[in-house]
Amino acid sequence: MYPRAPAPNLAPPGAGAPNDPEPKSAPYNDFSLAYGLYLPAAMMNMKSIAIGAALLTTLGVGCSGEDNSGPLGNIDSIVILQRPARNDTGDIFQYTSYVAGARLVKLSPPTAAGTVTVLCCDQAGPDFANIDISGYDISFDASEIVFSGKLSDNDNYGLFRLTLADGTVKQLSTDPGRDYVMPVYLPGNKIFFTTNSVVSNTTTDPNPLQHRDEYERGTTSQMGTINIDGSGEALGPRNLSHRALPSLASDGRIIFTNWDHLGPENAGHLMFMQSDMTDLREAFGKEGSGVSNSTLKAREIAPGRFIAIATDRDRTLQAGALIDVRLGMTSTDSDGNLRADTAMSEAHATSVVLTPDVPLDRTPSADTIGRYYDAFPLDAKESPQLLVSWADGPVESSTLDAAGVNANFGIYEYDSVTGERHPIFDDPNMWDIFARPLVARDAPPVTNSQIDQTLGASQAEIGAMNVYDSTLHTFTPGEVFGVRVMEGFSSEEGFPEMFGTTMFEGHAGLGVARVAADGSWLAKVPANVPLHLQTVDVYGMSLFNEPVWFSARPGETRVCGGCHEDRAATTVIQPGNTDAAQVGPTDAMSMVPRATRMTTVADTTDANLIKTDGSLDAAYLPAGIEKIVGVSWGSADPTTGGTGSVQQVFNDHCVSCHGADNRAGVAPYTITNPLTMESVTWTFRLDGAPIPAALQALNTSPGMTPQSWSASYYSVAGPDMEAVERNNLVISGNFKVYMNPEDAAHSILVQTVNPTVLFPAPCDASSGASCQRAFTTTPHQQESTVTALGGYTELTPTEFYKLILAADMGVNYYARENNPGSTAY
Amino acid sequence: MKNIGTPLAAVAIALCASAAPSFAGKGGSAQLIQQAIASHSQDAIIAEVERTEGLICSECIASVTSLLSSDNYKLREVAGWWYAKRPVLAQQMLVQMKADLVSGDAVHARNAADFIGSIRQQNALPALRAAYARTDLTVDARTAIVRSVGLLGNPGGNSTLAQAMRDGDAGIRALAVTSWRDMRGQTTAAPAEALLADSDANVRAQAATVVGAYRDANARAALQQLVTDPSYQVRHNAQWAIGRIDHQ
Repeated sequence: MYPRAPAPNLAPPGAGAPNDPEPKSAPYNDFSLAYGLYLPAAMMNMKSIAIGAALLTTLGVGCSGEDNSGPLGNIDSIVILQRPARNDTGDIFQYTSYVAGARLVKLSPPTAAGTVTVLCCDQAGPDFANIDISGYDISFDASEIVFSGKLSDNDNYGLFRLTLADGTVKQLSTDPGRDYVMPVYLPGNKIFFTTNSVVSNTTTDPNPLQHRDEYERGTTSQMGTINIDGSGEALGPRNLSHRALPSLASDGRIIFTNWDHLGPENAGHLMFMQSDMTDLREAFGKEGSGVSNSTLKAREIAPGRFIAIATDRDRTLQAGALIDVRLGMTSTDSDGNLRADTAMSEAHATSVVLTPDVPLDRTPSADTIGRYYDAFPLDAKESPQLLVSWADGPVESSTLDAAGVNANFGIYEYDSVTGERHPIFDDPNMWDIFARPLVARDAPPVTNSQIDQTLGASQAEIGAMNVYDSTLHTFTPGEVFGVRVMEGFSSEEGFPEMFGTTMFEGHAGLGVARVAADGSWLAKVPANVPLHLQTVDVYGMSLFNEPVWFSARPGETRVCGGCHEDRAATTVIQPGNTDAAQVGPTDAMSMVPRATRMTTVADTTDANLIKTDGSLDAAYLPAGIEKIVGVSWGSADPTTGGTGSVQQVFNDHCVSCHGADNRAGVAPYTITNPLTMESVTWTFRLDGAPIPAALQALNTSPGMTPQSWSASYYSVAGPDMEAVERNNLVISGNFKVYMNPEDAAHSILVQTVNPTVLFPAPCDASSGASCQRAFTTTPHQQESTVTALGGYTELTPTEFYKLILAADMGVNYYARENNPGSTAY
Repeated sequence: MKNIGTPLAAVAIALCASAAPSFAGKGGSAQLIQQAIASHSQDAIIAEVERTEGLICSECIASVTSLLSSDNYKLREVAGWWYAKRPVLAQQMLVQMKADLVSGDAVHARNAADFIGSIRQQNALPALRAAYARTDLTVDARTAIVRSVGLLGNPGGNSTLAQAMRDGDAGIRALAVTSWRDMRGQTTAAPAEALLADSDANVRAQAATVVGAYRDANARAALQQLVTDPSYQVRHNAQWAIGRIDHQ
């Protein structure tokens, strides 16, 4: 979106800063561009745009190179990024693709009859002869451009500033071993970017490795800022997966796509952050607001309103349908401009699909329908005029590769009233993308959050004023004992490509913050670390699981109104402080180095870590509970069996009946492939041996190969049910999945053993005490069928909690405690 | 625009019938993998293999296994990842791959090294070390070994990387020094210092980055020499490194 503004200032360098040092609020009411009858652009000077008869019919093109009455009529020129066509960027978070020969060009006037001028980088000499450019932004005064460029295949993407007056190009001093892409000018002479450079901390994480996305295996891209002179680089808090494709909104915040990957959650959603990379907020895509797996390249049309691309995660070359996202209630001003910034909330967000024929998934798009790579709004009417990049035909990577061609993105003006595309520019050998008017604009305000200097360089503070205030879950008053804070990590720490069969990333429990009488809680946490929250009951079981990772910058205080409260509602703060603030925050390992945020080796198999003598730790929890951080299932090598935190419980209490000999007499289940009639029979067992030879032998007919780690893990986690369903496999017999990821309370195993109360004072039934139990059913240890087989000693509070954590932290096999990468080889 | 309508239309019709809903991590099948392989599309093959992340899929195994010997590293990598999701299968394949590292020809050794790196098989590091010591492997194979050592990130691979920094192939030297930076627990860039005087510009540039990343003051003088290097990349990286060292 751009308001009417004076012509670009092409003053020579030094004549003034390219960015407004005293940012003003953006004049969104100033949408006074002339919108007379639009006369389609001339075709005569276009480069052989063989769009096909159908499209030409749709366009109803006429011939005029003198148009000045449409949305582009008072725009002198537009900037276009030309990248050599390619077909390796299907994944929406792909940012490293390199093909030599990109350039930035200017089209003046912005019509098919316009003149093309190369802005960069022919003039920069032979060092830039093989450059690829992946993204750019125009400064607020339109005197310069910042772009992400890669000079050779051996290089990484770096940031460059192009001065338009004289064509000089200067590379910023970013880490040459990392990629810096998608730059965006910020008010205050800063540049925002995404990068795979990793934020470090001298105290808690001096030499970290960047997270890898567990699914597409790329080094994740995160956020950062740098001064336009290349100084003052600052890296933001990390997501466990990618953050990508940022743009600046008129309120000064950054909107970007956040890859949310937590177990089954696997989608790209829009989020906001302040320009100082604090205060991350959900914007669009979750809570049923999205229309596709991924929403990307959001760009503001008007306050609270964004044009974006809706598509699948992969195979679509980061292109899809155009959607008009409205984050709040809409209102129209006297000029007919529509905004949506009243009561903005993801739960209230809606969207309008502007191109209904374009697939929202990865289905190959049809001829004349194609897909859109990006869009820039030219006005803010209810049905806006857009400057778009569009390619015809099946924009889908396998279809294109099979035909031996690439998608051909060209620049068009899109009339969302009529659905017509008016061709402006197309170079058949290039992707012509990210077209933008070369005009000055007003800078939005600098936005930031309050930083608590007392938290220092390593800590952040999180919390809520009332956890019972939630749009996602209804809690029974008084049932929430605390909030469990968990850290996430991925295979960069030395793990194999997965943590178990449940697709959850690595977890470490950093602590439980007690919820005060008024529903408030606070915790100090390590900054820049992906975190995940659960409200827990007095048994330590999750009552509700927040399904995303989030993080905070050093010194940032992120205190929400509730537990995913209604963001559009007014949060009422009672006079005075919250109870949690008066008590002070729980320290959730905020100053503990990453490498030691784990249960010690000695404690891993200790069944009595949690003290039952009434002693408390620093967080007013039972003493010793802080020693249980990660929950390893077995040994570091699952194919050889072995003992970890969970297996210790099974070994000491369960295997006498639930071993390989199945003394308990649990009935088996059988999985059968009805096509081949292959079958495998499995009987519940809790020993830590590697899977039996009989099952391994099935690898010779591997359709039935269980993705097993150890006998107990396979028994408890179960096979992947999607795999069973999609293969039309038939399960017969006594089939159960005994642990549900992130949901101990509804896990059969946890229900069966029936935990004793843990908070605030643990009750130890193993010592004979009569304890309050989580479920009304008879505890397994007291069942007559169990005692008839000789019974077992009841689990200690430590052992109950380890099983609960194993479930609530994703039913993973691996944790830091059994990380194979921690061993020297 | 190229006249691509006819071939595109034919392919689109063929593929539309198999178009799947918008899932990430779900919705894969052996048929879709086979179709993607038939399309020769790296992007599509990777996407469809990824989509069978959790699938019990006997029909997938032959297709994915064939990718382990592809000439395209990205396809070998995604095939290895697929195996990593199936530990029992992976362990069985690992037996063959370790043998190939020791006695296979160069292509088999290359494929084996990439398999080990892709499944992050930490305890195969000794086999990688031994394989790099072989004198009969090609540049491709040695590259794969060094790449795999870097992917494992285990400090036990440092000796191999240091050795590879003296490899006769400049690409391997550059890969080794780049990998050195991201080994877990790495604290020094000392082995990279010698490469600041390497004959290859890319090696010098990568070495400059690594000594800069570790703020290696011992490299300060050598970096200063590179400020006037004929290569833009070397000059830029050296200046960045000097900035890091001078502003510790």
